[in-house]
Amino acid sequence: MTATRMDVQARDAVAEVCAVADDEAGAADEAASFPVETVGAMRRTGLLGLMVPMEFGGGGGSLADLAAATVALGRSDTSVAMIFAMHCQQLVALDRFGPDELRRRVLPAVAAGEVYLASVTTETGKGGNLLMSESATTARDGWVHIDRTAPIVTGGEHAEGFLVTVQTPDATSPSQVDLVFAERDQLELEVLGGWQPLGMRATRSVPMRLVGDVPWEQRIGEPGGFRTIVATTFGPLAHVGWAAAWLGAAAGACSRVVSHLRREHVDPSSELQLTRLATTRARLDVVRALLAHTISVLDSWDDPAATPVQLLVNTLKVRAAEECFAAVDELVELVGLRHGYLPDSPLRLERAFRDLRSASLNYANARLLLANGSLALRDTEVRLA
Amino acid sequence: MDAQFVTLLRPFLKYAGDQEITPDSRLRDLGLDSMRAIELLFALEDAYDVVVPDEKLVEDTFETCGSLWTMIQELRAGQREAA
Repeated sequence: MTATRMDVQARDAVAEVCAVADDEAGAADEAASFPVETVGAMRRTGLLGLMVPMEFGGGGGSLADLAAATVALGRSDTSVAMIFAMHCQQLVALDRFGPDELRRRVLPAVAAGEVYLASVTTETGKGGNLLMSESATTARDGWVHIDRTAPIVTGGEHAEGFLVTVQTPDATSPSQVDLVFAERDQLELEVLGGWQPLGMRATRSVPMRLVGDVPWEQRIGEPGGFRTIVATTFGPLAHVGWAAAWLGAAAGACSRVVSHLRREHVDPSSELQLTRLATTRARLDVVRALLAHTISVLDSWDDPAATPVQLLVNTLKVRAAEECFAAVDELVELVGLRHGYLPDSPLRLERAFRDLRSASLNYANARLLLANGSLALRDTEVRLA
Repeated sequence: MDAQFVTLLRPFLKYAGDQEITPDSRLRDLGLDSMRAIELLFALEDAYDVVVPDEKLVEDTFETCGSLWTMIQELRAGQREAA
């Protein structure tokens, strides 16, 4: 999972994108606007196609490559890291489950930087339950009619492609859910409101309505098969990507603080400062270890939806959210009011704190703990993945 | 599937309504989520006096009403042989 495992081209691309993000992030955060320049750099450098197989002109990246790139981006801007990781999550789902014709059409365009993918999985009234959809669809002559309102669509105003969850046509219950790919020009898009959150402001996650007719061949996976995509791909990729973004954010914050302490010749005998720094650093190392281990398990277990693997993947998300936020909270205490709390400090802890406060809410930790409770009851042997 | 099984199952299937429950009925489609699945499992273990081993607690077992019923039958047969 170290950066050295990425090829030189990908590493150069990440460095170039980070440089642009460093310039753009402050203004994007202040205005809660999408980081157009930074995503433009992802398009230009080919980073957007990191996870596209090489046969389609992409980087052929591994899960470890995705995590390494996301951690690096997170050091510059948490929102940028999230935008990238979520795009890759959509991309991998499309690659693994999409029909060949669709893959041949879309994947080279992603690799060329022409298509940024957004995800439309949120819905009001389902309490964050990913595996349900109240959005009924109808299918006629091979076309499916979508009319879908989503309260949160990250980057929805700027995406060229969308992966949308809808009820299977003529479904008999809200738990029959499909994932459908739609191109921007296949949909009428309406932005229903603004985006003024506490943190993660540059994700520009606006409420949207999407209406249009999409060929049924653009379905990703078997009819009603979204559950399988979630268990094997969407869930693991989301949790690895988010954990990497948060780890990058917290590691970047810690790095800036340590440089600051060195510059300011802070008293190296202050036991309070040293123990705080040690605790913060330990949180990062624990998350890093958990992230790397989870990736190796996902790469090596035959069934990524096996109970011990699901438990681990959920634990990664929950613990990364807690530890990365706690790490930055601790750094705020360590440097104090001037550099920890004020937004104009070059240490940018205030922004990292606001960004990371979202981590436990971004697919709620409480919901994952409930899931893990019932999963743990299925495993009397406690087979640790 | 015996009548007791269907009666026991029905409260866990929030979208089943009045529709008939057959061996082909898909449990997820009828509203069985992973939380309720574990409650259902405990109820079945009590009702049929069986212990479901970990390796049976996979997605396939909870696919349809029939697949779940088959598992219970196999466990009961296994216990009778053991006795």
